[in-house]
Amino acid sequence: MIDRADMSSGSASTSTAGGATTAADGTTSSSFWRNNSRTIPGRPTTVTNRIGSGRPIGAGSSGSSSSFQDYQDSVSDAWDLGDDEFCIISGVVDTRISKRASQTAALNVIKTHKSTNSSGVSNTNVQNATRSDTQQISPVGSDQPGRLEQQPQSEDSSLKVTTALRIENLDIQPQQPQQRPPLKDGTEYVNDQRLRQRFHAYPGRPQLLKLSSNVASKDVECESKYEKFSNILEAPLLNLIALKELSWSGVPRKMRAVTWRLLSGYLPTSLERRQTVLERKRVDYRKLVQQYFDADRRDESQQDTYRQIHIDVPRMNPHVALFQQQLVQEMFERILFIWAIRHPASGYVQGINDLVTPFFIVFLQEAVGADKDLEQCQLSDLSSEQRDIIESDSFWCLSKFLDCIQDNYIFAQLGIQAKVNQLKELIQRIDGTAVMTSASFSTNSRVYLPNSLPTGTLHRHLQLHGVDYLQFSFRWMNNLLTRELPLYCTIRLWDTYLAESDGFAVFQLYVCAAFLLHWRDQLLQEKDFQGLMLLLQNLPTHNWMDSHIGVLVAEAFRLKFTYADAPKHLEAKS
Amino acid sequence: MSAGPYNYSYIFKYIIIGDMGVGKSCLLHQFTEKKFMASCPHTIGVEFGTRIIEVDKQKIKLQIWDTAGQERFRAVTRSYYRGAAGALMVYDITRRSTYNHLSSWLTDTRNLTNPSTVIFLIGNKSDLESTREVTYEEAKNFADEHGLLFAEASAMTGQNVEEAFLETARKIYQSIKDGRLDLNSSETGVQHKPAQPGRTTLSNDAQTNKENCFC
Repeated sequence: MIDRADMSSGSASTSTAGGATTAADGTTSSSFWRNNSRTIPGRPTTVTNRIGSGRPIGAGSSGSSSSFQDYQDSVSDAWDLGDDEFCIISGVVDTRISKRASQTAALNVIKTHKSTNSSGVSNTNVQNATRSDTQQISPVGSDQPGRLEQQPQSEDSSLKVTTALRIENLDIQPQQPQQRPPLKDGTEYVNDQRLRQRFHAYPGRPQLLKLSSNVASKDVECESKYEKFSNILEAPLLNLIALKELSWSGVPRKMRAVTWRLLSGYLPTSLERRQTVLERKRVDYRKLVQQYFDADRRDESQQDTYRQIHIDVPRMNPHVALFQQQLVQEMFERILFIWAIRHPASGYVQGINDLVTPFFIVFLQEAVGADKDLEQCQLSDLSSEQRDIIESDSFWCLSKFLDCIQDNYIFAQLGIQAKVNQLKELIQRIDGTAVMTSASFSTNSRVYLPNSLPTGTLHRHLQLHGVDYLQFSFRWMNNLLTRELPLYCTIRLWDTYLAESDGFAVFQLYVCAAFLLHWRDQLLQEKDFQGLMLLLQNLPTHNWMDSHIGVLVAEAFRLKFTYADAPKHLEAKS
Repeated sequence: MSAGPYNYSYIFKYIIIGDMGVGKSCLLHQFTEKKFMASCPHTIGVEFGTRIIEVDKQKIKLQIWDTAGQERFRAVTRSYYRGAAGALMVYDITRRSTYNHLSSWLTDTRNLTNPSTVIFLIGNKSDLESTREVTYEEAKNFADEHGLLFAEASAMTGQNVEEAFLETARKIYQSIKDGRLDLNSSETGVQHKPAQPGRTTLSNDAQTNKENCFC
């Protein structure tokens, strides 16, 4: 908790420091604290009241929590994200009780949605369901969904803002049980997996085929955010914290390119300086190309790096025509080569090429227009200026993006080895006992096998069958799940990564944990090493949508929240 | 394959090693799926494949670890050598550099596996005769000198792929029959019909499993 506070206030001061004038000015800084009533940092009570509609938080919430909330009220830390979640959890003394309550609440939500969903999901509907799903720890009133749906207009507008804040497009929970009746789930998924093993048995093949398949659904979900993004982005001095909060749950397509530039720290917060900086950076990149690529590429000492990149780029997305275009491959070669030269401690590591792709796609989409189908896109139809912009912006954003995970790619990949060990410890703590299991993974059990949770635990199951975490999670860490998810899901995931206040290095660990736990029930059904390994290397995500990612990051957030700053928390049971 | 009585008598663990781009993953894919993947993305870390074969009327399940070729992944891939019964060492007959690196791959293999590990040298891409840079004779001499099995193969046409995997298994099985291979040691990469689900891997986690008596 102290760490969070420190980091958050640190980033808060950085963002204000970005425009030196504001602190003296006074108006901006005061509006920073006041304008968004939903995000008053360190002020849990307002949020709590709204969400719980005045109902008591948990069975034993009065004693210790009030004193802590007093303390919270007395300090003004900038909780740059997740302030509301934090408050609710801090108010709960016994997490187990509240989890049970939340499960009931969530099941009620599902029931409600089953009956109401047929005529399309209304906005409030989605937001509300979302909220209660993520807030599993808090006993969000189980009677709320109905009430909200009936009188959406009468709700305090700030409530909508609050509920929309983080997990706006998580309509998966209500929809999932509808699409896949719980009883059929197990078999359907197993069959699915067998089929996949049969027909897509090549492990880790990037699943890019449906590059833009869920365009429509995405836009509907994000439409309501469009205006909020516009307001933030057009402010003379960007409120980076607000942008992060808004982006965490997904960025609308049309806003993504500029938002990513801002979130990665490539663009300055000051609106009037942005264009100048952009132009300068793009010129800088052209110079780098001349300096490094045109000259060093033929340098003896760099030959290996260049050759390696040259071999890798053509085969990185072999099934997508877009990436077979000569112009695209040349752009990737330059980006990767220059990055490698400028980062000698790591150099080029296979997998980094996959990390360029999301940036490239987002900036390409911006260049050709948000409605265009990228799979049909010909780079030669773009002007060379447009191509240069895509390339240089991809390069700079990639560089910023990788800054926080450089230890993943240094000698012996120590960062990854450490994270794999952390993942193992984490899963051991989370899924150490059956009691904890049923409480913690109501998300999964609800979606898949609600009433037949296997009694074993995932960690023990993996250990028993000799599956080592390194064997499957190395690639997750090295490629940031790009090999496990369809490309548009990766892009959605990176909205969240880029919006993480202190870089996503730590958060990614929890995303991997949530990802692993998502498949828990299916994994427990595999009875031998081969079955487990093949499933783990071919996880059936090909039908995933943005909403799956929404659930994934929400669960990761919850896990991080519960475990990250409490190394001994809940340990006694395992 | 997951439940029910075991339909195989042994598990052999294999690793596939060699420079990047020599076709390790394609060989594995050709062997397990009997199909050629025209262009497969490079392997990150390791990937796993499995297939049941028959040697001397014994059903044998192969657990095959396909390793990434890039030097940077070596720290991670090295951990898979231990307890390998068979090692397929691959070079590309159209790229001499991949052949020149064989001695370093061989050193790694010798250091990290056990003396009974069968090493099979594969000169891949034998279908690309026109761009050949390494002759059959040269590689054959290298293999004989170091006591390796050898064949040129093509993951594309499938030529000799099956043979390489099967011949390796035959050699391992011969060692078992001759009593040169100690079935009670987890280091050998061989496991007799599993007595319990816990004994499905061979080495890394032997200590986490309970009794392992195969008598």
